[in-house]
Amino acid sequence: MSRVELLGADDAPLVARRYYDEGDPGPIVAALAQVPEMLDSTLAFIGAVLGPSSIDGRTKELVILRTSAVSLCRYCVDSHSVVALDTGVVHDEVAALRNVEAAWTATFADPREAALLGWVDAVAGGRGPVSDESSARFKAEFADHEVVELTLLIAATLMLNRFCTALDLPTATAVLDRLRRERLA
Amino acid sequence: MTVAVAAAVADGVLPGRVWIYSNYHCNLACSYCLTDSAPGVAKRALTADRMVRVAEQAAELGFDAIGVTGGEPFLAPGMAGTLARIADILPTIALTNGTLFSGARLAALDALAGRDIALQISLDAADPDVNDEARGAENFAQVIDAIPKLVERGIRVRLATTVGDVAPHDAARLCALHRELGVADEDHVVRPIVHRGRAAERAIGVHATRDDLPAELTVTADGAYWSPFGPTVRDGRVDTDLLISRTTDPLAVPAELLLRAVEGRPPGTDTTLNIR
Ligand code: SF4
Repeated sequence: MSRVELLGADDAPLVARRYYDEGDPGPIVAALAQVPEMLDSTLAFIGAVLGPSSIDGRTKELVILRTSAVSLCRYCVDSHSVVALDTGVVHDEVAALRNVEAAWTATFADPREAALLGWVDAVAGGRGPVSDESSARFKAEFADHEVVELTLLIAATLMLNRFCTALDLPTATAVLDRLRRERLA
Repeated sequence: MTVAVAAAVADGVLPGRVWIYSNYHCNLACSYCLTDSAPGVAKRALTADRMVRVAEQAAELGFDAIGVTGGEPFLAPGMAGTLARIADILPTIALTNGTLFSGARLAALDALAGRDIALQISLDAADPDVNDEARGAENFAQVIDAIPKLVERGIRVRLATTVGDVAPHDAARLCALHRELGVADEDHVVRPIVHRGRAAERAIGVHATRDDLPAELTVTADGAYWSPFGPTVRDGRVDTDLLISRTTDPLAVPAELLLRAVEGRPPGTDTTLNIR
């Protein structure tokens, strides 16, 4: 169970209320509502970085799911496994990204995606400087603006990973049901 | 944006008074208490300097009055001196149950004489039994004893009557009583019990929504709220439905968020329940 009170619709602060208009806004919003002045700016940031942008949805979900797996965030791994499936990432790819014990190299043969996932593992899984080797491979496949945006995506995902993990946010029942049906739970 | 707050206050879009919850504990435990106050509850106190800082920032932002409430503010050490400092910044009303004014606390009130401050004391009925049923034994006698002492000292006293339903006859008796005690008619406010805090726990009072409550910016140890009826306490938990922000310093943060929430709301919609 969550380590903080997740505010329901009746307790939602004034400036948070519109996030509840269409029902349960999910535990990230329900936790952030405790500090309502942080809500708009945080969600705008998350939306801008994780949402639709010039980089295609599949690429972004590979980054989000792998980053979350490397940082062992149960909430984000489960939630984004479903988002990834809905974005067209196939079952075996999702399973490979979730598995931090085995290499993903057999599943992701495309050099561009392999360079990207190598960069994700180096950035999200390491501490201190990131190796020139993974940078060189990544930069060989992506333009500078993509390097910046994808690295920001890893960083923003890590922020969410630690937030959701530290507060022990609960995974939605619908997500757990879907993962069971997909044999990913 | 702070200019917008000043303009909104000047134009009456935002109410001019900023409320400060000095603390939440109280020597009484009234049946309808919004803050579920009592002697042993969490104090949630602001320091004297913090309260003065709120008043300074309120003045800088263009607000034109301060209200201090609790809990019982005079349980906080040095409250008379703190109120004198606040009243030197903006005209002030301090809400008190009026039962603590003896000895050193009474003498300290001399600091308020001649300053732009009123003490608003609660008295709910002209009949001691009716009053004391809600506010505790001996409350009526203590308040009746205190008011003339304050008036004598040159301190303006307001009387607040919180009632579920005042029969006209009793209202007339109460008004005769406050005039006798030296409290003018314009300094007597009558307001309903609001269904929040302990009143909600006991299923009494009128239900008030955001639009029934003036958007008076209210600062507490837990954050800033829409209206002093916002940071109420139920079962030990401070309500969050009227929370504006946890940030209260700088005061511009909640002031601007409050203004954003108010804009577009038709004027005069907060007066129907006379919740003041
Ligand atoms: S209503 Fe006022 S006097 Fe009564 S318990 Fe609450 S804070 Fe104290």
